[in-house]
Amino acid sequence: MIDFHTHPVLIQEFARKYRNYERVAREIFQIGNNFQPLETFFLQMDVAGIERAVLLPIACRRARKDSVSSNEQVAELCGMSRRFIGFASVDPLAKGAPRELENAVKRLGLKGLKLDPALQDFRPDGRKVFPVYEAAAALKIPVLLHTGMSWAPGTALERGHPLLLEEPIRHFPALNFVLAHFAWPWVWEAVALALKYPNVFLDTSCLYYDSPKEFFQFVFSRQIPTTVIERSLRNQVVFGSNYPRVEIKNMVHALKSLALTEGCLKKILRENAERLLGMMNSE
Amino acid sequence: MIIKLERIKLQTRKSEEAINITPQVEDVVAKSGVQNGVVNVMTSHTSSGLLVTEGIPCLEEDILTHFSRLFPEEADYHHRRYLDFDGRMGFNADAHLKSILGGISCMFPIENGKVVKGSRQTIYFMEYDGPLERMYFVQVLGE
Repeated sequence: MIDFHTHPVLIQEFARKYRNYERVAREIFQIGNNFQPLETFFLQMDVAGIERAVLLPIACRRARKDSVSSNEQVAELCGMSRRFIGFASVDPLAKGAPRELENAVKRLGLKGLKLDPALQDFRPDGRKVFPVYEAAAALKIPVLLHTGMSWAPGTALERGHPLLLEEPIRHFPALNFVLAHFAWPWVWEAVALALKYPNVFLDTSCLYYDSPKEFFQFVFSRQIPTTVIERSLRNQVVFGSNYPRVEIKNMVHALKSLALTEGCLKKILRENAERLLGMMNSE
Repeated sequence: MIIKLERIKLQTRKSEEAINITPQVEDVVAKSGVQNGVVNVMTSHTSSGLLVTEGIPCLEEDILTHFSRLFPEEADYHHRRYLDFDGRMGFNADAHLKSILGGISCMFPIENGKVVKGSRQTIYFMEYDGPLERMYFVQVLGE
């Protein structure tokens, strides 16, 4: 099983090694949990039955004065374990962003692009961003964007609206867009985009109130019918936890509590991610 | 009067488990130089615990099973909300309640440099919300 949405922000070894790491976790990513040895990350994956995890940085230096993990730090973690799949992040408004992305993929071996329009402070439908989408398409990597509500103070809810992505999605049909957090609360809009455009994927890392099970039961059986996933979007949903904002095991249990068939769960928990990452038949 | 405080880290490996820490506590006492006094042991977390019981696997299992029956993972907990100071949801009320139920500390006398305890008594660090790196305190007081 693959977790498509984790953030390496509480690694104890990095807190000791990198001067700003702790401040970034507390002040920009705004998480209050204790720093944990890397071993805990693997154990959290183990108890959830997760074999590999996508690590997501956020290049928000322009907007927040520092980045939440650097591409180099993500690459360093990937060098420590094959269980990690690293994504890059660039400031799409920065000069040379497409080249920086190309370097991160070709030189650092990163496998995708992560963008957060709210935390990075840009409009995802802005034409200035398109060269970065174009670079991602040329590199044949997926782009995962934060969509839906962001808790981050000082950010506008509107930046997470999934329909802001329709123009880029239409303009780059060969680029796979992963809409994180199922774009909650705009799940119908996210579903509509995925139904209409085959290059749209949705990750399950949404939890904004109640427990993971309660939230999943509400969103994926009352807010939208479970059958939309089972019948229509089974090839376009990937499992994501948003660890360490939530423990991976709780999100796996929540997903498995839905009335989805084994075949559909297999696609969400593994096969769709493998296809997005170009891992099919490679190992 | 000697007062010595040790902070001991422990990597738990499961969601829930009972870990025998009696040898570690006895070791701190032995190295403290205290011949007569008391030793206090306490977890530094609110979703783990410390308790004393007979050191056999069936009881370890019973404690975890029946604590979970009293405080199931899925129940109507008010803790299930966004905690702005943590930047995340709180949905581990069951772990906090188990910690309260089982307790977070224990104390034993020290006599002639050794922990005085019943032959069946075993000191357990109780993980209710793992796996995590945890810490517990062992404080020795005496002379």
